[in-house]
Formats: sequence, C-alpha cells, structure tokens
Amino acid sequence: MAELLQYLVTGVGIGCAYALTGSGLVVIYRVTRVVNFAQGSFAVLAALTVTTLLGAGLPHGLAEILAVLVAGLIGLLCGLVATGKPGTTPQTALIVTLGLGVLAYAVEILFWGDQPRSFAGLAGSTGGVQTHYLLIIGVTAVVLAATALLFARTDLGRALTATAADPYAARIVGIDVLRMGLLAFAVGGALGGLAGVLITPVQQVSFDSDVALVVNGFSAAILGNLTRPALTLAGGLLLGVVQALVGGYLSTSYQSEVALIFMLAVLVARAGRRGVLEAA
Amino acid sequence: MTERSERHDRVFWSSLFSSRQDGIRWWWIAGALIVSAVPLLLAPGQLTTFVLLGLSAMAVVGLSLLMGYAGQVSLGQASFTAIGAYTSGLLALHHTPPLLALLAAPIVAALAAAGVGVPILRLRGHQLAFATLALQLILLSVLGDADWAGGAVGLQGLPYLSIGGFELDADLDYAYLVLAGVLLVSLIAHRLVRSRVGRGLRALATGETAAEASGVPVGAYRLLVFAVSAAFAGLAGGIYSFFLGYLAPGSFPVLLSIEYVVMAVVGGLGSIGGALLGAALITVVVQLLTTLATQPGMPSYAPSVLSYAVYALLLIAVVLFVPKGIVPTLRRSS
Repeated sequence: MAELLQYLVTGVGIGCAYALTGSGLVVIYRVTRVVNFAQGSFAVLAALTVTTLLGAGLPHGLAEILAVLVAGLIGLLCGLVATGKPGTTPQTALIVTLGLGVLAYAVEILFWGDQPRSFAGLAGSTGGVQTHYLLIIGVTAVVLAATALLFARTDLGRALTATAADPYAARIVGIDVLRMGLLAFAVGGALGGLAGVLITPVQQVSFDSDVALVVNGFSAAILGNLTRPALTLAGGLLLGVVQALVGGYLSTSYQSEVALIFMLAVLVARAGRRGVLEAA
Repeated sequence: MTERSERHDRVFWSSLFSSRQDGIRWWWIAGALIVSAVPLLLAPGQLTTFVLLGLSAMAVVGLSLLMGYAGQVSLGQASFTAIGAYTSGLLALHHTPPLLALLAAPIVAALAAAGVGVPILRLRGHQLAFATLALQLILLSVLGDADWAGGAVGLQGLPYLSIGGFELDADLDYAYLVLAGVLLVSLIAHRLVRSRVGRGLRALATGETAAEASGVPVGAYRLLVFAVSAAFAGLAGGIYSFFLGYLAPGSFPVLLSIEYVVMAVVGGLGSIGGALLGAALITVVVQLLTTLATQPGMPSYAPSVLSYAVYALLLIAVVLFVPKGIVPTLRRSS
C-alpha cells in the first residue's frame, strides 16, 4: 500500500513536468498555430542554468526563479526567429523550431558539456516519499492556476485568447498579433523552463533530454488536441502515473513506450474519427 | 485489385524500366561519370566519408520524395535505415548469403513502412512528425532491450559483403557499391516522379480533395511513396551494416532522422538533384568542420558543437530565406 502511494506521488510529480511542458506547447500553439519542437530545450537550458547559478553561489529559490526567467527570454527569442519574418507559415515555423532545438544542443554542449547534470532539490521525505515531489506538485498547481487566471481575467490574457480564436478579427480590433505570438512563446518558454527546473533534482538532465520531454509533453497535450489546457494537465498526470506504475510493477524498460503508444493511439483514433479531409 | 489499377501498375512498372531516356539530362550522365572517378582520388579516411555520404544520399532521395511530393514530414526516417541494417545484419549472422541479406533489407523496410503506414498516414503535418518520431523511439527502445538483436551492444562481427565469390573487403569496393546504390535509387525516384503515380502525387500536393475527386487513389499513392522511401533508407542501412561490420541502436539516433530532414530541406524538397546536393553539402561541411575541430588545441567538445550548429543554422537559414531549397531555386533563376 505504501508502495502504491509512493508510485502515485512520484508519478504525479513527473506528470506535472509533462503537464507543464505540454501547457507550454498549448499556449504557443493556440496563439501562433506553431507546434514548438524546441519546447524540451527550454527545460534543459533552464535546468543547466540553475546548476551554473548555484555554482556561482546564488541561493536556492533565486537561482531557480532566474533560470525560469531566462527560459522565458529564450522562448521569446525562439518565437522571434520562428515567427518574426512576415509570411512564415506554421509549417515553416515547425521546421525552424526543429532547427532551434538542434542549435540548443550546440549551446548546451559548449557551455555545460555532454554529461548529465543535476542539483539538489528539497531534502528529506514525507510519508515515505521524497518531499521534493510534493514541491513539484504544489508549484505546478499554483503556476497552472495562475496561467489560467492570466488567460481568463486580464486584458493581456483576453488579447491572447482573442488572437487564438481568430487572428484576423484580433488584428481588426487593434491587437498586435505578432507581439501576442511572441508573448505566447515567452510564456511557453517559462513554463517549459519551470518543468526542467522542478524535475532535475529527481531526474538528471543532459543535453538530449529534450526529446523525451517534448514527446511526453506533446503526448499530454494531444489529448486536448493541443488547445485544451485542462485536458493537457489531465493527460500529463495520467502519463506520469501510468509510467510510474509500469516502472514500479512491470519493468522500467517499458516506461517510455507507454507515453509513445498512448500518443499514437490517441492520434490515430482521432484521425479515424475526423476523416481524411481535415488537414492539421 | 481492380482491372484499372492493374493496368496502371503495368504502365508504372514499364515506364520505370523502359529505355526511353526522356528527361534524363546529359549532365546527369556527365555528373555520374565525374563522381565515379572521385573514389580513386580519395584518401582512406575520405573514402569512409564518401561511403557515408552516399548512404545518406540514398535515404534523403526517398525522404525528399516523401516530403516534397506526398507532403509528409517524417522525423523517423532513420528507423527504416535501422530496420534495413538489422535485417541484413541478423540474416548475415545467421548464415544467409550476404547478397540475399542485403536484398532483404529494402524489402523488409518497405514492408514495415507499409504496415505502420496504414494507420499512421492518416495523420498530417505535426501529428505525423511526432508519430514518426515516436515510432523511431519505440524501435530504438525495443532494439536496445531485445536479446535477439544484441541489446544495447548490438550486432558485431558481421561478414563482408560478397557477390558471387568476390568479397567486398576494401573501402573502395563499398564506395562503388554505394555509388551504384545512389544511381539505382535516383533512377527509380526519377521514374516514379515521371509516372502516373508522380502526376497523381503532384495533383495531390496542390489539392487533396480535387485530386481525390479526379480519381487519384490518394491513400494508396501516399502509402506507395512512404514504402519506397523506406526501401531506399533500408537499402542504405543494409550496405551500412556490411560496410562497418557492427550495429547498435545508438548508430541510428533521432538525430540521424533530423540530419536527413536537414539535407532534404537544404537541397530542395521533391528534387532528386536537391537531395543529392543537400546530402553532399552537409556531409562535406560537417566533415571539414570536424577536421578543423579535431586539430590539436581544440576542446574535445568542438566537433559535436560545430556539427550541431551547422545543421541548425543551415536548416533555419534555408527554411526562412530559400524556402524552396537550393536546387529548385537555382533552376528557376537560371
């Protein structure tokens, strides 16, 4: 029983990282229609930045917050490259973000080398579970709630939502669509960065960890067709818990396949229902 | 199979092997002759690069067809290289004649593509991109865990390829084998594009509904191109296994798939010349930088940093500023 509880809590903790990564994808996709392949790189870059800041003597907390801000800034820059040139279609931007993800590899190896890194999280354990998992869950809940409020209750959020709903109409009422897209990239970058910062103490990060993160985040987000934040959260938690249970009771080697097969099943089932005519 | 599609199959296959040389420009032949002299001039280390370049080119020709004509982004094309390589490797280790093992590589890769293609090709755009990426990750993970495939260590001690008692044991032999492979693949791709299938695919690219309404069997053609592109990658994988003599899941990382995409996009999607140029350009640039980066005094991480940077910057620059790719853009402006 204690074992089951432990698997559930660690699963929810890991699932929070997927949900954050997926939410970043959703924020960017809703506003710009771009699927951001570099989403996993934000997490890796933020986590590696934390190791440097901690090494430079900054206290915990400050280092993590700074790293998330850095990730937001990197997100903004990615958005600028991917969508800044007028006439760039979402398909083109997808390939550009793929290139940005590879560029991140070069930057990461240049500054941090190619060995996995980690840093200490919240020490100790509560009820047989590492306390850090509870921190992950708490921070994710607060941040996702705040993001939901940002979108629903502020003028800025409404402008973002308007751009997501109909870019043309948004432009007519005086919303700068490009700027909204960049803002979405910055928010997406910060959410991705937060995922990396939160998860690194319990899971080492190396330059190529981004593939697993972006694939899991995409799997979480695809449940809500890349547009529904609540379903993305549910998808992330589901994936995390199922992976933890599979890893705990069956074998750790099948863990990663679970998310992948889940994603393929959702995609294919949805494509079958929708028919062949609707282009993605 | 209906009578109509049978007739159309006959037309397609006969056009593939007919002696009519229309459309094959003389400079293709001249280019092939010049390139075939290149291996003789290369140093041993450069020969290895030449062979790897040719193998990439084979896979990229297929990917370029798939992306340019069928409009499908595949981020898992290296899975078919892996399937081809493991097919050849496993068969050769189990005492199949090497030539048969090599021939099985493209066939098994095409069958695998046809199998996964039926559900997967219903997806479009980013969904297909993630789905193909996911399939490659699953394949790598399965190969890494499978005892019959040697697990993470992979297959070792593969024999050399031998054709009728002649053993291909020198790099030069493989250089010419690869050259023949590239020629074969380009010829098939060229014929495919010029055939009824190619016209159907072009119609498909401009308007799916219109193409379907005009009687183009959209799904079947997509699947055909997917299988053909997989066969090309599989053949490259088969030659790779005999050339290097060992295989591991790590030989076919996701980055290899991305490398293929970069080569195809830089050269120009849907253009065979573009695929060949893209493969050659990227391989040569990365090789030059690697040589530079392994000079004494350079840090140990320099080669990987430089090659990642080259892939990334070339991909981004071409996509944004030369969206059609190098070869189609040059052809249009000349």
